[in-house]
Parts: sequence; structure tokens; C-alpha cells
Amino acid sequence: MTLLRAHPNTLVAVALCACVILAVRSDPAWTDTAVLTGIDTLIALSAGLSFGQAGILSMAQGAFAALGAYAAALAAIRLGLPGAAGLALALAVPAAIGYALARALIRLSPLATALATLALGSLVDIVLRGWESLTGGYIGLAGIPGLGLINTPLGYLLLVCAMLCISVFGYENLMHSRHGRALNVIRHDRARARADGVDVNAVLSTALALSAAMAGSAGWVYAHYISYLGPDSLTTNTSIAALLTAVIGGAGYILGPVFGTVLFEALQRFLPAQEAQGLFYGGALVVILLVARQGLLGLAATSWRGRRRLRPVQAPASAAV
Amino acid sequence: MLEFVVRGLLLGSVLGILALPMGLLFTTVRTIDFAVGAYALLAAAVAAAVPGLPGLAAGLLCAVGAAGVMGSLYLLLRRFGCEDAIVPALMSFGLAVAIASLVLLIWGTQPFLREGFSTFLSIAGLRISPQGLVDLAIELGIVATLQAVLHRTDLGRMMRATAANPAGAALAAIPVEALQFATFAAGGLLAGVAGLLIMYSSGLDFTAPLGLTLSGFGASIIFGIGSPLRAMLGGFAMGTAEALGAGYSSGMVAGMVPFAFVLIVLATTRFGEHGLAGDRL
Repeated sequence: MTLLRAHPNTLVAVALCACVILAVRSDPAWTDTAVLTGIDTLIALSAGLSFGQAGILSMAQGAFAALGAYAAALAAIRLGLPGAAGLALALAVPAAIGYALARALIRLSPLATALATLALGSLVDIVLRGWESLTGGYIGLAGIPGLGLINTPLGYLLLVCAMLCISVFGYENLMHSRHGRALNVIRHDRARARADGVDVNAVLSTALALSAAMAGSAGWVYAHYISYLGPDSLTTNTSIAALLTAVIGGAGYILGPVFGTVLFEALQRFLPAQEAQGLFYGGALVVILLVARQGLLGLAATSWRGRRRLRPVQAPASAAV
Repeated sequence: MLEFVVRGLLLGSVLGILALPMGLLFTTVRTIDFAVGAYALLAAAVAAAVPGLPGLAAGLLCAVGAAGVMGSLYLLLRRFGCEDAIVPALMSFGLAVAIASLVLLIWGTQPFLREGFSTFLSIAGLRISPQGLVDLAIELGIVATLQAVLHRTDLGRMMRATAANPAGAALAAIPVEALQFATFAAGGLLAGVAGLLIMYSSGLDFTAPLGLTLSGFGASIIFGIGSPLRAMLGGFAMGTAEALGAGYSSGMVAGMVPFAFVLIVLATTRFGEHGLAGDRL
């Protein structure tokens, strides 16, 4: 029971997943949507981890997912490795690149990391298109095998939900740990963190590596579920959407990206055209940053707290996410 | 070899113009405007839609207008008590996505390209596009003007004061907010000019903004982000690197040069440390 009480976010995630599975299991079209939404949610969650907790504005989450997906797909097609080995690669490759990128930047100032991740995303995109002998270039990789027992959309939905719940659980554990507390100190005041004996660069780099691994795992499911992978599968647009939904939902809250993604996938159905997506996302981001910098969950939490009058005038201590 | 260098210098002049708003904004408001590339795209798109000289003017006007929106949003953020440099940067990112989407919605995926000159000049055995010389001349003019304005006029003095110490400048009756807004708008104008020049040389489409922003940013930080002169030199360095990459390697490597350049510069310089290391000021 204490395990459950200490993990309210995980409980909510499990409940949400259970509701979704029950609601969509008999309709193949909805199951498909749910699987893809789950993958997007996982990428958004990874963006939330890097931006909301570590303050690293990562514009390369889609690229990390693509790296994981390509690693898994190549392992399965070229080397014939089982899905589990592919997952290990899909976690390790993006994590290693994310860690190396973060360590290469001397002081990891927020603006510098934002630019560096954007450049990395563009580089990954060019390599995926250009290195035809390995990635198949524009044609991409087709015929990625399924994952053994899991071969129906419902099976994939269960898998994605399990991964999502495990990720939320791990994320929540991380934030309760020494490492997570160190991250929060760094986000507020680096000098203070350094004085407290926190190795700022190591902690931040590890956080980016974890976030990259999470995105990579999403890429792994994506590759096996769709069974086709091209340079247009997981692009800069994926990174942008993940980042924006995470911020709009509330990047500082563990479940913020989850709510952001689910809300946006739902709202997207009312959009007149696919092209208007960017206008919608960008506009929503501008409005949310002006009105509620903590995101929708932050807005909800503030108004809830205000109504209960527990802490009437609590200054938004972490207003500057 | 020499031909590639010359071509790179001419290419770099446009990058230099893109680098100028980055440097101006970073020194005066200490943030990055990710939408600079989007202003350039907007200017090119509008100019391509409206024929003739009025089209160019309309394009520039739209770019300045979009930058003005960003400037207002920035000032609003400050009014709402946001001190963090990354929040306006994120917001400009949202604006860039919105502008690119708007252009896609109205004009579709077509590239914006216009032929300015059909003949090539031949100088000392080198084939040189006249458009490149026009770019270079415009850039030299802009840099000279900026340098003069920043260091020889009252406006420039006030801008530098705002950059060095906003609170002190405000106490000295300098309209800090108006200057910050003007910096955003000037950035939009410069980006618009760059967008038009790109339209007349290689062309651009709705996917261009982020790449343009990154290239401009890379050019602005190579030699330090402080002055227009350094931005110009940075543009030349970046353009030369790109041209050499295109000349001596495959298309893939050439495409990677600007981004690799940005990564290397970010990894080897101490960009963004000053007052931005994440500490609350």
C-alpha cells in the first residue's frame, strides 16, 4: 500500500491506461489511434523529463526516437536479433548520443543546449536520408518483423500502456530520489547546487540521457508496430509536437505531458486541415506561456489550491520553468 | 579552390545578414528569437505572391509585423514577471512553427524562387553570380549602417546602455521597453531582407525557417556574439565552410556542415554563460 501511496502519478497513469484499453479494445481503428497516441505520449513524457525537470529545452526528442527506431529495425532486419535485444539497443544508442552531446557542451547553459539539440536533430535527419546503404535513404526500411507473441493492435496497445506506466513509475521514483532532488535544485539555482556538492554537468547529462532512452523506447515500439520506417516517420515535427504538448500540459508535472498529448490528439480531430497543425500548436504554446506558464496542470493545481485556501497566497516559486 | 572560397564569401553575406538580428537581440534582451528564419520565409512568401517592387516592400512589412508581434509578446512576458531567458525563446519557437504552418496553409509546399540575373559575370577567370555581389553590397551597407548607428548616434548609445544595464538605463530616462521592441522589429527587417535575397538566389520553402535560424545563429556566435562586424565575419566563415563542404564532398556532408558547425562552436566556446547559467538573477 505504501508503494501505491508514494506513487500517485503512477496510479493515475495505470487507471488512465486501463480506461483507454477498456474503451477502445473492440474497435480496431480506435485501437490503432490509441497505440499511436501512446507512442506520442511516451515521447512527450521524455520531453517533459528533460525540459520540466532538468531545464534542458530538447528539440531532438523525435530524433532520439528515430535513432532508437532505426537501431531496433536494423538489429531485427540485418542481424535477426530478437525484440528484446532491439529494445536494449533502442535504449542505449539514443542515451549514449544524448549523454555525449550534453557532456560536449561545456557549461550546458539553457540556450546553448536548446540550440545544440536542434542542430543534432537536423544532423540525424540528414544522416537518415543520406546514408542509403544503412538506412535505406528516402525509401526507408520495410518489413520490420513483429514482436513474437505481440502481433495484434490490442497486443501493442497493452505493450505501449505497460511501457508508459513503467516510464511514469520510473520517472516518479527518479524525482523522489537524490538524483531528482539534485535536478530540481539545479533548475532553480546552479550555483546553489554546485555549493551543495552536486556535480551539475553529470546530473544534467544523465537526465538528458534518460530522456533520450525513453524517447528511444517509443521509437522501438513504433518501428515494430508500423513495420516500416522512413526518414519521414519520426522527424523534427515529432520533436516539436512532443515539446509543445509537454509544455502545454505542464512540463513541470510528471503527468503534464500525458494530459497535453491526449488533449491535443483529441482536439486535432476537429482541425480543418493537416497543414493547420503547426498554427494550432504554435498558437496554443504562445497563449499558454502567456496565461499559464506552468501548463494546464499547473493552472488546475493553482486554482484547486486557491479554492481550498490551504495556502492562500503562495508565490509561484518555480514560475520560471 | 579559390572559386569555392569566393562563392562561400558571397553565400556568407546572406548568412551574415541573418546573424545580425541574433547578435542584436542577444546583446539587448538576452534571449534568442527562434522565429528569425520564419520572418525570412514570410517575407519571401509575401514578396513572391505580390509582383514587383510593392511585393518586396509588402514582404519586408510582413516580416517586421511578425517580429513586432514577437516583441510585444516578449514585453508582455516581462510584464507578467518572467525573468527566464528560455521562456521567450520557447515562445518564439512556437511563433516560428505557427508562421511556417500559416505559409504552408496559404501557399502550399511550393518553393519561393525568383530569377534575378540569368548571366554570370566572369572576373579573373571565376564565374560569379551577380546576385552574390548584390548580396555582398547590401550586407556591407547594412553592417556599416548598424555599426554607425550603434557607435555614433544617441539611439545607439541608448541601445548599448539598455544592453549593459536595463535598470540603470531606465533610471536614466531611456525608454528601455520601446528600445527592446524596436530591436525585435529591426531583427524582423533584417531577417526579411535576408529572406528576399535568398529568394533571389537559391530559393526557400516552408521547411526552411529552423535551418535558417540555426545557420544565422551559428554565424553569429563563431567570433563572439557582440558586434555586427563579427557577425559579418562569422557569416563569411560559415559560408566558406559550406561552399568547401559542397565542393569537396557529397551532398549529405555539405548539408551537415552548418549544423556540425553550430555544434562544434557551442562545444568549444562558452556561449550563454553570462547571466544565463540558469541561476536566478
